[in-house]
Amino acid sequence: MTQDGKEIPVIQKVIAVLWPSFLTAGVATILFFAYFDPQLLMQVSGYGEISRMAGYTIGFFLFWILTSITCVLTCYFQRPCDKK
Amino acid sequence: MKSKKNIPEVDSDEAYAKHKKVYPREVHGLFATFRVLGVFVLLGGYYLVPWLQWDGHQAVLFDLPARKFYIFSLTFWPQDFIYLAALLIIAAFSLFFFTALAGRLWCGYACPQTVWTEVFLWIERKVEGSRNKQIKLDKGPLTKYKVSRKVIKHALWLALSLWTGFTFVGYFTPILELGQSFIHWTLGPWETFWIFFYGFATYGNAGWMREQVCIYMCPYARFQSAMFDKDTLVISYDEARGEPRGSRKKKDNPKEQGLGDCVDCTLCVQVCPTGIDIRKGMQYQCIGCAACIDVCNEVMGKMGYAKNLVRYTTLNAMEGVKTRILRPRIIIYFLLLVFISSLLVYKMAVRVPLELDIIRDRNALYRETNEGLVENIYTLKIINMDDKAQTYKLTITGIDGIKVIQKIKQIKVNSGEVLDLPISIQVDPVNLKKTAESLNFDLISTTNPDIHVEETGRFIGPLVR
Repeated sequence: MTQDGKEIPVIQKVIAVLWPSFLTAGVATILFFAYFDPQLLMQVSGYGEISRMAGYTIGFFLFWILTSITCVLTCYFQRPCDKK
Repeated sequence: MKSKKNIPEVDSDEAYAKHKKVYPREVHGLFATFRVLGVFVLLGGYYLVPWLQWDGHQAVLFDLPARKFYIFSLTFWPQDFIYLAALLIIAAFSLFFFTALAGRLWCGYACPQTVWTEVFLWIERKVEGSRNKQIKLDKGPLTKYKVSRKVIKHALWLALSLWTGFTFVGYFTPILELGQSFIHWTLGPWETFWIFFYGFATYGNAGWMREQVCIYMCPYARFQSAMFDKDTLVISYDEARGEPRGSRKKKDNPKEQGLGDCVDCTLCVQVCPTGIDIRKGMQYQCIGCAACIDVCNEVMGKMGYAKNLVRYTTLNAMEGVKTRILRPRIIIYFLLLVFISSLLVYKMAVRVPLELDIIRDRNALYRETNEGLVENIYTLKIINMDDKAQTYKLTITGIDGIKVIQKIKQIKVNSGEVLDLPISIQVDPVNLKKTAESLNFDLISTTNPDIHVEETGRFIGPLVR
């Protein structure tokens, strides 16, 4: 990401990707698991036994991976197209 | 980033500047007292509440493994998600309302980032000493003393962080059991993970990131300006009174020296947790903690000048225009807040801890029995959301001469469980006036008549001409 031709520090790029995705993943986790019980989902889909805490945790991180991919792509597409 | 001098500072430039550690100086005064009070009430509450017991269970427990939330005498199920949503909407509107009215009150006194940072700063001061000592220590060589101070500080920070993480998980799994597993070193992998995750976040945010969280990470800090207007309380320096600033002796008359009231002691900069100079005007980094007001008032008192050179004021007041408190946005936020809150209270008051879903048999619309009766099959889903087991009585009305065949005679449902109750309803076709008749399903607890729901179902028969 550049602005006025200046690079921003790596740490800020990392924050720009990981932090908003963390927030939205949290919201998604709450909404999703308010309606779907991870234990039942695993049973129905035939993946076997899982504790709910494990289900919530894995679910949260799957959401986080997904949302951070979105953030990475957003950051990527913000780069100017006409690179010299 | 190399900083270029003589170029006016631009917001975007500042965000990219290399981070310099801010050493906020200790401050005493009215607003500092408010903040310490906030720390005690909020963090005290945070650390104590999970240990409270109520009626044989943890008083406040968001029991994720069991999928129920206990809040004192109330038990919530996933079906009650709407209440949580309403609560979040209320929280959001409260934030809008107080921001429009009094600026960044949340940031200055109530935000977890602020209150935990306050505690971490307190520990840092106890271990490393005052602001000047901390700066000296950090600049100085790596001595035995320096290492010992740093080790002690980080050990205390980490201990508090882990306790914070433990408490956090204690809101979601019963804390007494969690404590026992902790003592016996038998914590489950997921609990351990979340204790460390939240603990690490606390340590990182309150110990290392601090004001950077507010400046770079906080979404509220970015959009709060949208809720501001010229009548919102802000912290501001009275430039007309303070300038030209300059040092002087207490007995000097500043007017003779052509000076304003600001003695340029830079204490307002030293106490600022985000490291800004309030005298430069309004800045988005200001979290409204009022530390500069407290310290400046102390200095003004010592100099024998009037207080409030830095003060809570409004843009209008500074421009000499009268400040209006009651303005449309305040009234609208307030009315919305009252409306949603009353709706929530009303809904909670009439909330029945019982749910009845009527599901018709998918295979056949209706069936004719050997006796010539029309039969419909249903599955009733009965969810007991009460915290005790309940027995219910089912009454179905709506068609004359109705015959209900219920295989499970006693409808008993344990707390938090769902009962699938298959029933068959048979009706003499002469009593059917329409193809689809309405049926009234009435379910009532045998022990508590307040637990009572009514639902409407459909009964389908042959075409009636």
